[in-house]
Amino acid sequence: MLSIIVTNLRRRPTRTVFTAAGIAVGVATIVALLAFTQGLRETAAGLVHLGGSDLGVFQANVSDPTASVLPQSMVGRLKQSAQVTEATPLLLMVEAVKGESAAIAFGADPEGFFSKSLVIVAGGRPGSQAGEVLVGDRLAARLKLRPGDRLGVQGRQLRVAGVYHAGIYFEDSGAVLSLGLAQSLTGRAGEETAVAVKLAPGTSTRAAASAIERDFPGTQTISEPDQALRAGANATLISKAILVIVVIAIIVGVIGVTNTMAMAIAERQAELGLLSTVGWSPVRVATLILGEGIAVSVIGAGAGLLVGVIGGDLLVKALGVSGYVTPSVTAWGLGRGLLVGVAIGVLGGIYPAWRVTRMTPLKALAGT
Amino acid sequence: MRGAEVVVEGVGKAFGRISALREVSLKVAPGEAIAITGPSGSGKSTLLALIGGLEQPDSGEVLIDGRPLWHGRDLARERRELVGFVFQSHLLLGTLSARANVEVPLIGAGMHRAQRRARALELLDRVGLDERAEHVPAQLSGGERQRVAVARALANEPRLLLADEPTGALDSATSERVLDLLFELRDRLGMTMLVVSYDSAIGARADRTVTLVDGQIRSDGTSAPADGSPPSISRASDVGTQDRTGR
Repeated sequence: MLSIIVTNLRRRPTRTVFTAAGIAVGVATIVALLAFTQGLRETAAGLVHLGGSDLGVFQANVSDPTASVLPQSMVGRLKQSAQVTEATPLLLMVEAVKGESAAIAFGADPEGFFSKSLVIVAGGRPGSQAGEVLVGDRLAARLKLRPGDRLGVQGRQLRVAGVYHAGIYFEDSGAVLSLGLAQSLTGRAGEETAVAVKLAPGTSTRAAASAIERDFPGTQTISEPDQALRAGANATLISKAILVIVVIAIIVGVIGVTNTMAMAIAERQAELGLLSTVGWSPVRVATLILGEGIAVSVIGAGAGLLVGVIGGDLLVKALGVSGYVTPSVTAWGLGRGLLVGVAIGVLGGIYPAWRVTRMTPLKALAGT
Repeated sequence: MRGAEVVVEGVGKAFGRISALREVSLKVAPGEAIAITGPSGSGKSTLLALIGGLEQPDSGEVLIDGRPLWHGRDLARERRELVGFVFQSHLLLGTLSARANVEVPLIGAGMHRAQRRARALELLDRVGLDERAEHVPAQLSGGERQRVAVARALANEPRLLLADEPTGALDSATSERVLDLLFELRDRLGMTMLVVSYDSAIGARADRTVTLVDGQIRSDGTSAPADGSPPSISRASDVGTQDRTGR
């Protein structure tokens, strides 16, 4: 039967190609967005564990974790908690680095564990001299920076004191300056974006997170990448957009496949009548039609997977967020794209297949 | 192999307001070859379709080997295992080779690919087309296409062969060869055969000729003998009450 399916699809190559192309566009969009979301998730994982922290404390109900604003005074209170061994404030500055808008500049307490965890690979840590910055090795490589060079941050030229490696994508793609300098540059004296927290050994992260949120109303703790994604309205928007696109792709794909197969049936009534005449059961004839629908969808889905993988990169570049996110294609992401393709084939083929089972062989042979 | 016994009892069929068959009764003995003739629109093809399980009668009964065809039987299976069809417009699938066309009924029967292939080649050899097995219908002559259709009809070793105007689209020489093939196969395989045709040559070869006019059997008798003497004709009311071939 497979050979008949292939032969029938090749019989009308233009129609098959256009139907498959329509499905490919839908599947490609889904795969690209899934890769994008997965990339966000992985990036979020880095954001959650900045400086090797167990969790981060952010302002609740913000559009994005980087938009959080907390009073610096809460760091001291957090440190007094029995469950917390260390807490250090961070001020995140987005789109602040000249020449690399995707890089994040971190304002951090030089004595906090975040700054101390940075491994210096060139130059040294900033001294008492004001206006110095450390750059991550990824950013240094991208902007060809060495100790002694100048880097523009928030409109001010800072001297590069050294280059560090932290092993966390966000940090290595960004820059670190003192919290006081960051507050001064942003005009946010006494404020921070988040507090990175290390918990006492043996402490339940969930229990500690609940306790912090209870003791500091208006804050939210993030200890898992998914929480980071959920906390950000932008990430939630992307997730919902994917759902909408999946539904639209399925609806458009199903209409396309149904139309293609209905036309095929109208043209091939005599042929289908012949199959019934020579003893093919209605189920077998319907399976042939359904199989053709699924085959064209799988062809479309296959092309869509390929385009989606390439398109994910293009999407990130087009949005100018390649510094934040690297699209990550997973087997499950590809599997979901393929599933959508097969679902389109099955749903689109059901009605034409049902119609075939209603035909009497004689009428079909007569082409009426 | 023993041919199927076919009994048609008071069958009627209408398409909308047009009555195609009215109270038609006919008995066909196992292995018998019947020619069904009559003018256009007389109900010949409809009768064949009812016997082949392609269309349900409005009234009456079609019995195959004593069992009603339209009651509780899996018609697709009956068509697959019992009946072979040959049509005037061969109805070959244009994109498939002759071999693949012959394989189509075998796919319906769920036969394994290698077996299917071997069986199709054997049948094409039987109809003299073994060397044309991989040609598509467009590369075959009209007579060759009809021979492929005959091979396809024989694929599942039917006990009943129904041919609707099998030579209608062929020139006389080719028609002769196709008829030779059909009757030779009938003789060799012992299947029951009903052939609808305007072609008087078929009547001369068949055991009986049934003539339909306006959806009713006008005459039913043994075909004209080779010596030119008149054929034995029975009244329509006698149809089905006796076996006229002596089988």
